[in-house]
Amino acid sequence: MYILGISCFYHDASACIVRNGKLIAAAQEERFTRKKHDSGFPANAIRYCLKEAGIGIDEVNYVGFYEKPLLKFERVLYQHLEMFPRSFNTFVASIPSWFNEKLRVIRILKKKIKYKGDVLFVDHHMTHAAGSFLISPFNKAAVLSIDGVGEWTTTVYGMCEENDIHLMKEIKFPHSIGLLYSTITAYLGFSVNNSEYKVMGLSAYGDMNKDTNLYYKKLRKVIDIKDDGSYFLDMSYFVYHYKNRMPSEKLCKLLGGSISIRDSEMTKRHKDIAAALQLITEDVGMKILNYLYKETKCENLALSGGVALNSVFNGKILRNTPFKNIWIQPDPGDGGTSVGVAFYVYNVILNKKRNYVLEDAYLGPGYKTEEIKTFLDNNKIKYLQFKDNDDMLKETAKLIFHNNIVGWFQGRMEWGPRALGARSILSNPCNKKMKQILNVKVKHRERFRPFAPVVCGEDALKYFECDNPIPKPTDFMLMVYPIRKKYHRLIPAVTHADGSGRLQTIKESQNFLYYRLIKEFCKLSGIPILINTSFNIRGEPIVCRPEDAYRCMMGTEIDYLVIDRFLIKRSDNKKDIWDSEAYAND
Amino acid sequence: MNKIIRVFFINFKDGFKDFGHLMAFIVNYVLLFFVYIVGVGLTSIIAKSFKRVFLNIKKKRDAKSYWEDLNLKRKKMIEYYRQF
Repeated sequence: MYILGISCFYHDASACIVRNGKLIAAAQEERFTRKKHDSGFPANAIRYCLKEAGIGIDEVNYVGFYEKPLLKFERVLYQHLEMFPRSFNTFVASIPSWFNEKLRVIRILKKKIKYKGDVLFVDHHMTHAAGSFLISPFNKAAVLSIDGVGEWTTTVYGMCEENDIHLMKEIKFPHSIGLLYSTITAYLGFSVNNSEYKVMGLSAYGDMNKDTNLYYKKLRKVIDIKDDGSYFLDMSYFVYHYKNRMPSEKLCKLLGGSISIRDSEMTKRHKDIAAALQLITEDVGMKILNYLYKETKCENLALSGGVALNSVFNGKILRNTPFKNIWIQPDPGDGGTSVGVAFYVYNVILNKKRNYVLEDAYLGPGYKTEEIKTFLDNNKIKYLQFKDNDDMLKETAKLIFHNNIVGWFQGRMEWGPRALGARSILSNPCNKKMKQILNVKVKHRERFRPFAPVVCGEDALKYFECDNPIPKPTDFMLMVYPIRKKYHRLIPAVTHADGSGRLQTIKESQNFLYYRLIKEFCKLSGIPILINTSFNIRGEPIVCRPEDAYRCMMGTEIDYLVIDRFLIKRSDNKKDIWDSEAYAND
Repeated sequence: MNKIIRVFFINFKDGFKDFGHLMAFIVNYVLLFFVYIVGVGLTSIIAKSFKRVFLNIKKKRDAKSYWEDLNLKRKKMIEYYRQF
């Protein structure tokens, strides 16, 4: 039995295919169309999923859609009814897309992929909860989903057992901690639904003391938080419920200035505002989780929703709540709901036994050696071919040790927003200049942003103050932990301003080559850690195909590309016309 | 010569496309203006005169919690065919 899960028409469109309860393939549309956060119908991702499963569309038994479009449309109409006449501009801007696509899902499925079978619509936050719990190792877990907004719900908690998910209580739009985070993201001059993680990174530079951070006190006026974690936003500080922008003039006044211009210099004020927002998010999150434990008395937690990408918050959960185990899927945001809906259809609606636990995130397209060789030969790209894997790993480790920046393209692409060693840029964490080199020469991104370390699972506790046992979400780079003080000097390029690191742990069984590469690097440096950053530049999705990787390398100052068993040196090849600077603009 | 004609037709096609988008925008704008005023506006005014609240914006002073009951569980199969 095949279930196709689809998520689209908001942001981060994606598709996945489940065969007899096992996840065969999953990918985001942006990787194929090269439009970051592409929200369009995921025709390319669907085609890839079907190809990977080796089936045609006629063999799909059910298509699951990640929300109830009419319920969402009701919420949109209610916004206009409440805010009339102030919502005119958003009405004119948004309504056509509802009639052209959002309310015509079945017709679009027929037209674009010739699917004529059953389509099942599942509530948005149910798909978040399902996407986390049903592929987790837990038989029983408390579940919390926090994101911007689904149909009406913005925050929901519940209890899951075996094949059942019971969502108990909710907080409804317009009150949303996710939208509060996005509002401040917009206020600081970053793009909404894209740059929230930058604000999280910026917060480490601000004052994280609640008593001394002036903006914490100011922002607390905006949100009323109860002891059970429920919250209510003072909507006079926001305009997102009727305008195409988010903060109101009143919020600008409260924070002492107008909305920041994009790419402007981040001052202490900006940093303290980011820190205040992070503190409030953690306040709300911890209170909800403590209350959730009180209600469910379950030690396992399945976390989902866009706010579950806040790895700083995630890293503090087990130390500040009674939960003992935590699970977050590699893509807990809206992109991940295609997986949620597919498993919900299989395990809950069709009541089939759960028989799958997600072990790694390598669910995207992979390319055979011959395909890559053909691409290189056809494009007259100069390359060297390694003798075998050992040769490749030793040479690549040497290149990294000698401070070269290496593009690493191996196996199937990762599922989710993080590069996890299939489409990564790797470099030396021991070089204190490496962060600046990567930021300026390759990634073209803001200087304040940190780089993530990847460490072999068995070495993580030595270098990081992690929870013990190390939670599974660290495999997907979803937890930030302090780096032990004595190693700050040894790995300066991955040590953030507050001494933390958003680590990825890797096991040999998950990605043999990646794991062995770190071990080879350790033989040279004594440190089993590498810098792992996504193989893209700012504003571009992570590379998917060999040609994307080659173009990205040639347009930046990545020194080498290790693709399958081939080594390409940038300086051996003619500079491509690709202008990476033009794309570095998100 | 062929190239000039081809370029002319490409530009002509693009121009027409832009014109089409402009017309669609104007028609949409005018139609949606009436829908907004008559459909949304009248409904809103009438509903509000009956004290109908569409969005929970005003804070209740005595609220002890903002959690609302949801109680969402597995439903009958037929419910999942619905878009609401």
